[in-house]
Formats: sequence, structure tokens, C-alpha cells
Amino acid sequence: MRLRLWSFALPALLIVVLFLIVPYLNIVLMSFRNPSPTAIYAPGFTIQNYVRVLTDSLYLGLLKDTLLYALATTSICLAVGFPVAFHLARTDSRWRGLLYAGVLSPLLTGVVIRCFGWIVLLANNGLINQLLGLAGLGPYRLMYNPIGVTIALVHVFLPFMILPIMNAIQSVDPRLGEAARTLGASGPRAFVRVLLPLSMPGIQSGVILVFVLSASAYIIPMLLGGGQVSTMPTVVVQQLMGGLLWPFGATLALVLSLSVLVLVALFGVLNRRVMRGVA
Amino acid sequence: MRRFPKVLLFYIAGVYAFLFLPIAIVIPMSLNAGEYLTFPPQGLSLRWYVAFLNSEQFTSAFVRSVGVAFAVAILASAIATPAALFYVRYMRSGREKFRLTMLAPMLLPEVLTSIALLFFFNQLFFGTGTLAPLVIGHIVITIPFVFLTVTSALYNMPAGVEEAARTMGAGAWIAFRRVTFPLIKSGIVTGAMLAFIMSFDNVNISLLLKPLGTSTLPIQLFDYLRYDFDPTAAAVSTISLSLTLTVVFLIDRIYGLRAVRF
Repeated sequence: MRLRLWSFALPALLIVVLFLIVPYLNIVLMSFRNPSPTAIYAPGFTIQNYVRVLTDSLYLGLLKDTLLYALATTSICLAVGFPVAFHLARTDSRWRGLLYAGVLSPLLTGVVIRCFGWIVLLANNGLINQLLGLAGLGPYRLMYNPIGVTIALVHVFLPFMILPIMNAIQSVDPRLGEAARTLGASGPRAFVRVLLPLSMPGIQSGVILVFVLSASAYIIPMLLGGGQVSTMPTVVVQQLMGGLLWPFGATLALVLSLSVLVLVALFGVLNRRVMRGVA
Repeated sequence: MRRFPKVLLFYIAGVYAFLFLPIAIVIPMSLNAGEYLTFPPQGLSLRWYVAFLNSEQFTSAFVRSVGVAFAVAILASAIATPAALFYVRYMRSGREKFRLTMLAPMLLPEVLTSIALLFFFNQLFFGTGTLAPLVIGHIVITIPFVFLTVTSALYNMPAGVEEAARTMGAGAWIAFRRVTFPLIKSGIVTGAMLAFIMSFDNVNISLLLKPLGTSTLPIQLFDYLRYDFDPTAAAVSTISLSLTLTVVFLIDRIYGLRAVRF
């Protein structure tokens, strides 16, 4: 009986283990292989790939840029998204369903289409520059540079910040904030001491999601960067599609993932410290 | 009626405009009669839709994308639904580990998954000559979404109806088919539709796993946008957008969008 029930889960388990976990272990293996000019890799193992990534200032610079993009995107998403999440969690407007769909539906629209929309808006003769032109300003260079890439990153990943924070705020009793006010706390003080600590789990998952997603974004820097902006993922994919530099590509991808992981863990520890001080 | 400060409401309206504008803008662009992506459009025309229909590359990519998305939706829900059922109803030990395994594809960066699968398939199947690697890749990343919607449908089922059916003499299969399945059907359909959208819009997995010389609609659009900016891209975007929005609308009708959680 037990065995027959397990068979329910077997296909899904098999797929995830065979086509996700094994391939991930395989990347690790690949990163230690010898590169070869004619095949995918040469026999034998080496740590040379890691030495090369960690000593070459080109790749360290790329890593720094990628993490800075992710950091900027995450901070902007948090600042922009928190009020929206708060409103969405607490509103009793009859437009609530529509507003929720408004946050959700960009998430279900292809990322290429959203990038295309930004290209139309940000181009030198695009809508924004034309409107600025009417006011006698510009044209400004808004894309094919870090500004355009950051704007599109924020747009694409903002829903991932809003939704978890909204869920967290929904589970905070609104009367707690009112109680704090009644007991004499000022508005900002009630916010910092009551709402912020209680919605922290949502903020934490939003921050982690957006940071991980934006650090591994590939399409957005390609399209909005127009070849002028390189990040770690764009270089990795170019390496893999262009040539047979698989062991090195694997190493680059892993170094990026590990750096992201370390920062996320650091954020978790730091957050707990700070929150213990506040709450 | 809850009151929010006026400033907050203005700010929020601004954010919604920021969310919507880049998506909405492609629609007027696609109806532009002029040669270029200029604003305001120089007259209305459907010429770019005709250009889409006349482009073999775009139409074949569209057909391929729809086919792949259908296959992925059906297979992912067929694979993930029993797993969700097992997890909610029968699993006793190792639940958290199992749940994490099922959600892992959603938690790991897609680009990395795509690279991992590229290596794996190349070493295993000597290249990616067929659509199989791409379909498998899409199934892997959509399993978590079906798993989530079906588990939440199972948790939302009225307690005890299944036991009631069993007590009244229904066998396990009959109880499932006549009681449980109808109650979780909308959850399964929602999961399948999400899988459809995810697959239809996917770029990260498709880019590395597609067979040489063929492409899916988002990949074709991506390649096009790197070199060209004529309004054909806007027409393609609008068509793909209306397909996704139709599915989102159907999900909302069937199950309510609020059930879609990430």
C-alpha cells in the first residue's frame, strides 16, 4: 500500500531529480574540467577555471557590476513597492480585484514584450523624449545604458516585491497599528516599531526574490543595454552560445550564484540583528 | 471606507501607470500606418499584422510556441497533480523536504537551470536536435506552479467529504473521481493555464535548449529586436499579449486570480 501511494509522487520526483538536481551537480563537475579548443572539455580536472575568474579584473568587474545592478533594482523595488503592497493589503475599494490583477498581470506578460515596450518609450525619438521635447528638454539618452537597464529591471521584478509584502501585511492585524497610535506613538514611530517588524518576513522574501532574479537576468540587459551593457549572465550565455568554452562558462555561472547566495545569507543574518534591536 | 492620504494614492497611481504603460504602449504601436515606431502613430492600419502573417519565420514560431505550451500544460499538470495529492493526503514523513524539491525549479534562477540542462542534454543526447529538451525544460520549471495551485485547491476542499464518500461505500478510485477530482478540477485547470503562459512566454530555457535553426515566438521576437525595430514586432507582441491576457482572464473566471500566489 505504502509503495503504491509513493508511485503518485514518482513521476514528478523523477523529473525534478533527473532534470534539475543531476544537471546542477553536473555544472559543478563541468566547472572543474579542463577546457579544450576542439571538444566540450578535455579529460582530467583542474581548478584553473576558478583561478582565472577570481584573478582576472575583467570578470571581477563584471561580477561587481552585476551585483550592483541587482542591489539597485532591489532597493528601488522595495521603496516603490512597499506603499503599493500596503495599499493593496489594506484597501477595501471595489477596484481591489482589478488592482491585484494589475500587479499580477505584468508578471504573466512575456519579458521580451515588456522590454520592447520600454524600448518604444525610452528611445531617442520615443514617447518620453518626445514629451520632454514639448517642454523644451532633451532628448536624453535613456536606453542602451545603465539607466534603461535599471528601469526595465525594476519594472519586470516589481511584482515579486509587492506580492510577498502584501501577503505579510494582510496577516498583520490593522488594530495593532491603531493601538500603537492610541498609546501615543507618532505615525512614523508606529510604522517602524509595529508594521515594519511584523511585515518583515514578506519584505525578506521580496528582497531575496528580486535580488536573485535581477542578478541572473539575461534578456533585459541584452535588449535595453543594446550591447553597451555587459553583466555576468550576458557574458556567460554568449560564451556558451558562441564557442565551446563550457567549463569556463560553468565556472562563471557558479561564481555568480555563490556570490548571490553569500549576500542573501548575509542579508538574512543582518536583518535578524537589526530587527532584534527594533522589535 | 478606509481613508488613505491623498499623496499616497497619487504615488500609487503613478506606480500602476509605470507597471501598465510599457505593456499597453505596444498596442497603438502595432496599429501604426507609418514605417517606423514613432509616436503618435501616423494613421491607423493593419499592415503590420499582414506583415506578421506573411512572415514564415514568425508564423511558424507562433504555431510551435502554441504547440509546445499545450504539451507542457498537459504534461506538467499530469505529472504534478498526483504529487500534490500524495503530498497533501498521504505523506507522513519528509514533507518539508518533498515540498522544497517540488518548488526547487521555481526557486533556482532560470538561466542557471537552462545552462545546467544544456550541458546535461548535450552530454546525454549528443546535441539538441529535437524539441524534446526544450519541452522537458519547460515542464521542469512549470511543475512548481501546478503543484502550488493543486495543493491549495486540496487544502481548500471541505473537510471530510472524501471520508464521507468512503464511509458510504465508495472505493478509493470512485471517491477520487466522483468527489475529490470535481472539487480540485479548477485548481488543476488553473495550474495548467499558468503552465501554458509560462511556457508560451519563456525565453531563458528556450534560448539555450531550442534545436538549431528553429525558434519559439519570444525567441524570434528577441532576435528580431536586436536588429530591427519596425512595427511588426509590435503586432507580434500584441497578438502574444492578447493570448496571454485571454488565459489570465479565464483563470480569473474559473478560479479567481487571488488564488494565484508565488
